[in-house]
Amino acid sequence: MATLFTRQAVASASRTARCWRPAAVKVAPVSRALPISQRMSFSQSVQRLEKRFTETHEWIDVASDGKTCTIGITKHAAEALGDIVYVELPEVGDDVGSGDSFGSVESVKSASDIVSPIDGSVVAVNDPVAETPADLGKDPEGEQWLIKVEAADLAPVNELMDLEAYTKFAEEDH
Amino acid sequence: MRPLRHLGRRSILHPPPHPPLTIPLTSSRPFSESAAANPSNKTQIYVSRSHDPLTNLSLEHRLLQTSHPDSIVLLLYTNRPCVVVGRNQNPWLEVNQARLGPQSHIQLVRRRSGGGTVFHDEGNVNFSVICPPKAFHRDTHAEMVVRALAALGEGRARVNERHDIVVDRDEGKTFKVSGSAYKLTRLRSLHHGTCLLRSPGLARISGLLRAPGEAFIKAQGVDSVRSPVANVGVEPAAFVDAVVAEFRSMYGGQAVEVDGFGEEVLEFEKVREGYEEMRERAWVYGQTPRFVLSTEATEDDNRERPAVPFESKLYIEAKRGIVNKLTLNGTSLDSPSIVGASIWEISDWATRLRDAGAGVDDVKEVGAWLDGVLATQP
Repeated sequence: MATLFTRQAVASASRTARCWRPAAVKVAPVSRALPISQRMSFSQSVQRLEKRFTETHEWIDVASDGKTCTIGITKHAAEALGDIVYVELPEVGDDVGSGDSFGSVESVKSASDIVSPIDGSVVAVNDPVAETPADLGKDPEGEQWLIKVEAADLAPVNELMDLEAYTKFAEEDH
Repeated sequence: MRPLRHLGRRSILHPPPHPPLTIPLTSSRPFSESAAANPSNKTQIYVSRSHDPLTNLSLEHRLLQTSHPDSIVLLLYTNRPCVVVGRNQNPWLEVNQARLGPQSHIQLVRRRSGGGTVFHDEGNVNFSVICPPKAFHRDTHAEMVVRALAALGEGRARVNERHDIVVDRDEGKTFKVSGSAYKLTRLRSLHHGTCLLRSPGLARISGLLRAPGEAFIKAQGVDSVRSPVANVGVEPAAFVDAVVAEFRSMYGGQAVEVDGFGEEVLEFEKVREGYEEMRERAWVYGQTPRFVLSTEATEDDNRERPAVPFESKLYIEAKRGIVNKLTLNGTSLDSPSIVGASIWEISDWATRLRDAGAGVDDVKEVGAWLDGVLATQP
C-alpha cells in the first residue's frame, strides 16, 4: 500500500509540473510558477536542471555547476530488485561511457548492470552504499546515490525522460 | 534417493564424448553471430558440443550481447569438472582450493551472473535462456525444466522459493537438483541453471565447497546457501531432448538449431576475448569483493575463531583481491611486498612476510598457514 501511495503522489506532482512547462523546452529552469513547496526545495540551486530518468531505471541530476552529475538507481528499480546484497561501483578517476555498464547490483541471484546515461569521469563514489548494500532500497534517489560524474557534454541528458514520462514508463514496465 | 548407476564406472578425468542428439534438427549449421542477431530468428536453440566451461560461458555471454533484442534463445551445454563461483563471491570463502587444480582436473571458474557456488561435471547439463527483460520472470524457465523432467518420468520435481529445482524424495526428504542464477543487462535477461542428472561427483561436492578459511573470513558480497543435492537419474541426452521439446512448445516457430559446434566458436574474436578475460586470475580472484581475514573476533564478525598453529594475532584487509592492510599483533606491515600485492600473485607468504620485516616465527608459521588459507590456482 505504501508503494501505491508513493506512486500516486509522484504522478500527481508530475501532472502539476505539466501545467507550466512549455512543451518545446525539454529542460526548463525552475519557474516562478512552481507551487511554493517545490520552489523552496530548489532554493539552493536555482540554476539546477531537472532530474532525468533512463529506460534502464537510473536517474541523473545535474548540479548547479553545470557539469557534475549525480547518478543512482530509481525507487522503482530498487523495489523491483528486492533485497540487495551487493553493490559494485567504479573508483574515482574511472571513465564511464554512455550506454555502458559502470557497476552492478546483486539481488536474488541476479547480477544487474547499472548503465551510465553519459560519458564522463567519476569524481565521487558513495562508498557507504557499497559497505551496506541492503540500505540502497531505503533512499535510492537521495542519500543512496551511487556516483558523481563530471561530464563534458550534457546534451544526452536532455534526451532522457522527465519525472512524468518516467513514472508512466515505470508503471507500464511490469 | 535413486542409486547412482554410473558411479565409479567412468573416469572423471576422461569424460566420454557427448552422446549424439536424437532430436530431429530442422536445420543444423555452424554457430553464426549474424544469425543470432538476425531479427527473423525469433527463437534460437543451441546445443554446444564443447565441454570447456570458459568456452561455453563465453559463448553464452556473446549470445546475451548479440542475439536480437526480441529473440528468445536456449543454449544447452555440459562442462568437464569445475567449480563455478558467482560474480560477487569470494573463492577463499567458498572453495577448498587444495582440492582443485591440475592434479584433480577440477577447474575454478567465476561466472558473470549472480548467485552462489555450484559444481559441474559431465553428469550435469546446464540450461540457459536469454529473453527480453519484459518477458523475464525468475521461475518461468525453471518451470520449463520441471515439465521436461516430468516428461522424463520425474514427477516430483518442483521450483522452490529460492527459484531452484528440488525433488521431493521418500520420507519427506527434499534434494536440490538444479540451481539458478541470472544476469540482467540493458537489453536482455539471462537465466541459467544446472541440472544434476547422473553426476559421478556428488560425493565430492561438500568437500570441494568447504574452504579452510571460512571461519576466519568475513566478506562483502554473496554467500552460498548449502543444500543437500541429488541426481535426477536420467540420461543427459534425453534431458537435452526434453528441454528442447518444452522450449519449442512454449515458443514455437521455426527454431534455428545449431548443433555440432565446439571449441571452434573461439575463432570468433569477441567470444575469444570473453574467454581470455574469464581465464585471467585478475577476474577469477581480482573480482572478489572486499573482505577481512582475522584470527580474532572483530566488531563486524564476532564469531569465535578456531585455534591456529601460531601465537600472533593476524588481521588482513583486501579489496579486489589486493591486500590493503596486514597487521600482526596490531602492528602494520607496510611493505610493498604485502600492501598493494595481489593475493593471486603470492605463492609463498613466508618470503613476503620476511621481506616486510615480520619476526622469524611469524614468517614460518603464519606464512605456511596463509599459503593454505589464501591458496590460489596457478
